[in-house]
Amino acid sequence: MAIIIDRHTETIVQGITGSNAAVHTKFMLEYGTKVVGGVTPGKGGQNVEGVKVYDTVSDCVVEHPNVTVASIWVPPRFARDAILESIEAGMKRVIVITERIPVHDMLYARHVAREKKVMIIGGNTPGLISPGRSLVGMLPKIAFGAGRIGTVARSGAVTYYIANSLNLAGFGQSTSVGLGGDPILGTNFEDVLRLFEEDPETDAVVMAGEIGGVYEELAAPFIKTMKKPVIAYITGKAAPQGKRLGHAGAIVEGNMGTAASKIAALEENGAVVAETLSEIPRLLKQALDGTH
Amino acid sequence: MRLYEYEAKRIFKRQGVSVPAGVVIGRENMGDLDRVVYPVVIKAQAFVGGRGKAGLVQSAGNRAEAQEMILNMLGRDHAGHKIDRVLIEQKVTVKRELYLAVIVDRLEHMPLIMSSQRGGMDIEEIARTKSTPILKYYLNPGAHLNDFMARNVASNLGLRGLLLKDGADTVHRLYRLFVDYDCKVAEINPLVLTDDDRILALDAKVDLDEDAMFRHPQLIQMGIAARHEVGEMTEREKFAKRAGIPYVDLDGDIGVFPGGAGFGIASIDLIQHYGGKPANFMDSGGAPTQEKLRAMLGLLLDNPGVKAIFGARFGGISRCDDWAKAVVQFIVENRPQKPMIMRMAGNMEEEGRKIIEKAKVDHPELFKKIKVYAYDTPIEEVIKETIRSAQTEKK
Repeated sequence: MAIIIDRHTETIVQGITGSNAAVHTKFMLEYGTKVVGGVTPGKGGQNVEGVKVYDTVSDCVVEHPNVTVASIWVPPRFARDAILESIEAGMKRVIVITERIPVHDMLYARHVAREKKVMIIGGNTPGLISPGRSLVGMLPKIAFGAGRIGTVARSGAVTYYIANSLNLAGFGQSTSVGLGGDPILGTNFEDVLRLFEEDPETDAVVMAGEIGGVYEELAAPFIKTMKKPVIAYITGKAAPQGKRLGHAGAIVEGNMGTAASKIAALEENGAVVAETLSEIPRLLKQALDGTH
Repeated sequence: MRLYEYEAKRIFKRQGVSVPAGVVIGRENMGDLDRVVYPVVIKAQAFVGGRGKAGLVQSAGNRAEAQEMILNMLGRDHAGHKIDRVLIEQKVTVKRELYLAVIVDRLEHMPLIMSSQRGGMDIEEIARTKSTPILKYYLNPGAHLNDFMARNVASNLGLRGLLLKDGADTVHRLYRLFVDYDCKVAEINPLVLTDDDRILALDAKVDLDEDAMFRHPQLIQMGIAARHEVGEMTEREKFAKRAGIPYVDLDGDIGVFPGGAGFGIASIDLIQHYGGKPANFMDSGGAPTQEKLRAMLGLLLDNPGVKAIFGARFGGISRCDDWAKAVVQFIVENRPQKPMIMRMAGNMEEEGRKIIEKAKVDHPELFKKIKVYAYDTPIEEVIKETIRSAQTEKK
């Protein structure tokens, strides 16, 4: 099972002829991910790592009707268009690797995706991996091992270090999801926590957030309703505070966004908060022993 | 990217949102005070709020008074920001102070128009106590603002009759501005009704999306370019900015070369947790070029306060072999004397490892204080060792 992607998932790479996309297409194929096509307008008919390149997503779907997942690697100014193209062509999950997408573009793409019941992950996500089954994105496979812990984090490297720390303590992962570092995200903590809560192959979840934004606070009430333990790791406690401009942000968001606000919201709702990376597996073990 | 009030008002004027007549004055153009019709309001230009309470907004009845106040304000520090310009505006008589803003609501992921019949400095207090209702009007992203919606907002501002139409026009123009300029925030507080029944934006706060600047070349023509936002930059921060390196000076002794911004933030927490003091924040992720990687290391090493460097690469999109190549070339060219305690794992790790091992054989004398750990050493052990090395160096 795992969540979002498994060994049968067929996927395409938008922007496949870019150098990063090409390298990671190779890594995905080596991992066993079913990359069935790539898309770069104007380069249809070419070949990248043995994967056929199409001019449009629709062209690719004609030849590969079972493809459901697209990853987006195009430059930021083309990201909105690429996401909408994938949605239009019937993709169910769109994994947006591209970083620094304009906020208004992402708001619009997110809005269209929600209406069509399509899941966008990112922007600025490292992707996601169901270890031993499938990898979409650019996560380094060495960090991950198959197991029964779900992880979800905003930052790429923090995702890798958490998996690394879990593996060294003998915990593998069911799926590790990178939400992405951009300010507007297609999928937030709560969305992924819901999937892990329902996944029979996941026993507990590690979530890692960071200062800025409100996604951690928004997820807190759902954690209260969860049966599976949640270990949270929040970074930015020592970071210098930014200042807000004007009052509009404060009216809407109050005091959300600081590390202290996130930690308080998570603890109040039953998450166990880790101080360091190495504490995560220890707290996880305690929590799991407590539930069995 | 936050704009100065005078910059925001340039955009307002362009979009037809009325603002008081004004002129920007710095030390170099004090002569322009002759062109101004008195009385005026003098407003120091800073990104940080609370100017009124800090005495940085004042009224002057004539030129002499204005000049004295301005000279008094210029060079002052306001919450870490040095004042080098003031905006002088014709004084208007205010009948009512209102509040109007359009914002990207990150809770609902929608554009949100907020309006209240009471604006001014206490708006956050008003929002908290709900003493005056703040109307929140959500729009679907990409949706058109219909006339009736703008009228509803104007009505909530307490405007009636012809003024309602003027108010609705202001709402339309502010929303248009919010969309056309890729704003995160476009706020008017206060929006005022003058004694002669004009609607004017007395203040203007605009926060633009840095990531959308590429489609607004007109901003550069208007003299609005990207800049550092809050506070004065240190020399190292200025250098980093020119080199395109996200970097903030902190006051510790451990140089941090962490990988991406997310782990950059985490590593600062971890160094502090284990009793060390980070010298900086840096984002060295996102597949930087060889030149940039070497510039990053140079930036850390040239800081006399840095006693040891903590380095990490968990290769995702940024590959280990690229990282190793840059690190080795840097070491060979610069022969650093400070300890560099690092860890490398992830994509292209084997290739990266070969590059490091070869360099160690070729230049054993350069690698005495340099370590590059692998996947099986937990990152926190690397951090602890860096802290110990920094302490040893200090002795």
